[in-house]
Amino acid sequence: MEKPYLVLEEELVEVEEKEKVTKNIISWIFKNIKFLILPGSRIEELSARQFEYEKSISKRSLLRRLKNPLTILGISVIIFIITLAVYAPWLSPQSYADAMLVHSGSWNPPSPEYPLGRTAMGGDVLSRLIWGARTSITISLPSITVSVTGGILFGVIAAYFGGWVDSVIMRICDVMLAFPALILSLVLIFVFGGSIQIILMVWGFLGIPVYARLIRGNVLQARQLPYIEAARVSGAGNWRIMFRHILPNVIQPIIVFFTFDIGSYILGLAGLSFLGVNQTIMIEWGNDINVARENPYEAPWAGLWPGFMIFLTVLGFMLVGDGIRDALDPRLKNL
Amino acid sequence: MSLLKYIIRRIIVMIPVLFGVLTITFILSRMMPGDPISARLAAAGVHNAPPALVHQLRCQLGLCDPIIVQYFRYMADLFTGNWGLSVSIVRNQPVWDLVMTRFPITIDLTIFSIIIASYLGTKAGVVSAVHRNKTPDTIVRGIALVGVALPVFFLGMLLQYILGYQLKWFEPVGFLSSEYQAPARITGFIYIDAFLSGDWYIIGDYAWHMFLPVFCLSFLMLASITRQTRSSMLEVMEQDFVRTARAKGCKEKTVIHSHALKNALIPTVTVIGLSIAGLLGGAVLTETTFGLNGMGSLFVAAILQSDYWVITAVVFMITIIFISANLITDVLYAILDPRIRYT
Repeated sequence: MEKPYLVLEEELVEVEEKEKVTKNIISWIFKNIKFLILPGSRIEELSARQFEYEKSISKRSLLRRLKNPLTILGISVIIFIITLAVYAPWLSPQSYADAMLVHSGSWNPPSPEYPLGRTAMGGDVLSRLIWGARTSITISLPSITVSVTGGILFGVIAAYFGGWVDSVIMRICDVMLAFPALILSLVLIFVFGGSIQIILMVWGFLGIPVYARLIRGNVLQARQLPYIEAARVSGAGNWRIMFRHILPNVIQPIIVFFTFDIGSYILGLAGLSFLGVNQTIMIEWGNDINVARENPYEAPWAGLWPGFMIFLTVLGFMLVGDGIRDALDPRLKNL
Repeated sequence: MSLLKYIIRRIIVMIPVLFGVLTITFILSRMMPGDPISARLAAAGVHNAPPALVHQLRCQLGLCDPIIVQYFRYMADLFTGNWGLSVSIVRNQPVWDLVMTRFPITIDLTIFSIIIASYLGTKAGVVSAVHRNKTPDTIVRGIALVGVALPVFFLGMLLQYILGYQLKWFEPVGFLSSEYQAPARITGFIYIDAFLSGDWYIIGDYAWHMFLPVFCLSFLMLASITRQTRSSMLEVMEQDFVRTARAKGCKEKTVIHSHALKNALIPTVTVIGLSIAGLLGGAVLTETTFGLNGMGSLFVAAILQSDYWVITAVVFMITIIFISANLITDVLYAILDPRIRYT
């Protein structure tokens, strides 16, 4: 009679331990996220109790500050676009291949079968809009990731080492910023070829100096603080100090800028496609506008809807960027 | 005197950047796909040229020399206007002529946009700061938000379609009506030429055509200027000297326009300087949208038709414009805020 009970208890223990592990992982993730986004969660002079109090206050006020109607509107727009991107195969009337291929009936006006009309090659505008959301998200995120990673790497290294390293990196940044981004990116795309990978790498590469400058100023301030000295005394190496001690303390403006910047990256990449450097067959909103430009007056639907989608997406990211900036840094609220 | 010193110092700081820019354009021009020799031979109608001829042409163009010599010759050529011949846009036309005929349109477009955007942007910013959190403020901020998010080419298409095609208020494409001839070329700037040659009606026609592009491009810049002016006005309006000015009995209008605005304009000038890069990029998009024959559309055509001498020349021109615009902004900044000269 005892054996089943024992087995049961053992199983229970196992289940509990599994739960504990998942709980530990989740709580570890939350612990590290909050250091990145909650203001004041790293003030160590405060006593433990004050610390808890401050933490709950800042968490509450962060949520409260984010609960502004415009931010919620922005978040819902982003969720809408991401839903379109993720569930495109179920949402769009035509499959990807169908929307890309040539059909009969170019520039047909809206009809019950094709609610937003048809493009030059007879593709359904609605399907191309939905698949275009996927393209927009998948090309702007890698591109901005290149900018942010490169910017953080070079900015932190320049500010931390100072001296000639700083001068060299910052002079290169100055020269890169002396070109208007769109012009230099068009030339680079011409040199390296116009595939979509090259386009997003080039656009991301040109964003590096902006982020490098942004983070350099913050690291220069943080480098003087006593905890860096303490870390060095306890034997931490340069890389550890740079990326484990300094970086988490200076990353907040980057997060604010990043959210804001996704919108402008989408705009910039759509602009490049609009100029026709992309492969015209690809489903992308800017591309669709470029094709629709051939016949703007007889078939306005083919160009206006993709433009509206770009506007909506960028607006969503801008609104959320505004909201996050207000919540994290109330001093900048009037901007 | 100290202003002059400041300007000289700014120019000296700019020299290494200029050299960096020239080096990068040199490297890019050598990396571009395609070969100027074969392009020129193809333009002359020679196919399957013997290797000896190709080599001779190469040396004639100076491509056999060491790379350092090529680099300095390239710089000398850029500064003396010896920019080579166009390969594919207008075959065998000197690039200098091509760029110089296109250059005034871009300059007109950007300068008018900067002027209009700065004027309207500061006005709107002041209105929005004075009526904080009231209806005018909400309207101005809403328009500014839309201005940030709206792609300039989409706005252009909308205006072309609604105002140009449906309502027929403006001409949607081009910069002169087809029945008018462009005035005799004296300076290249159409309104100056029209003024000098006495064809006054062309000025009106030109303005009528340029209205929509300038509107589009200034809308792009308007948003950031408005936001910055609003923010700095709000900051300045809380300062002590504004209270003093009110206390001594100044009219509210005087307080806002001569006490507060002068101080609030300083960060706005920085924002104007920063948005010039976006403006030059936006000029490329606007010119393409409205079919204006400016440098931007020339550049896009050169990219799409791989006309590398034209690409190098236009990049050089636009970068020079951008650098000098930055210099002008810095000088303006120093004039507005004398403290900056001593740091």
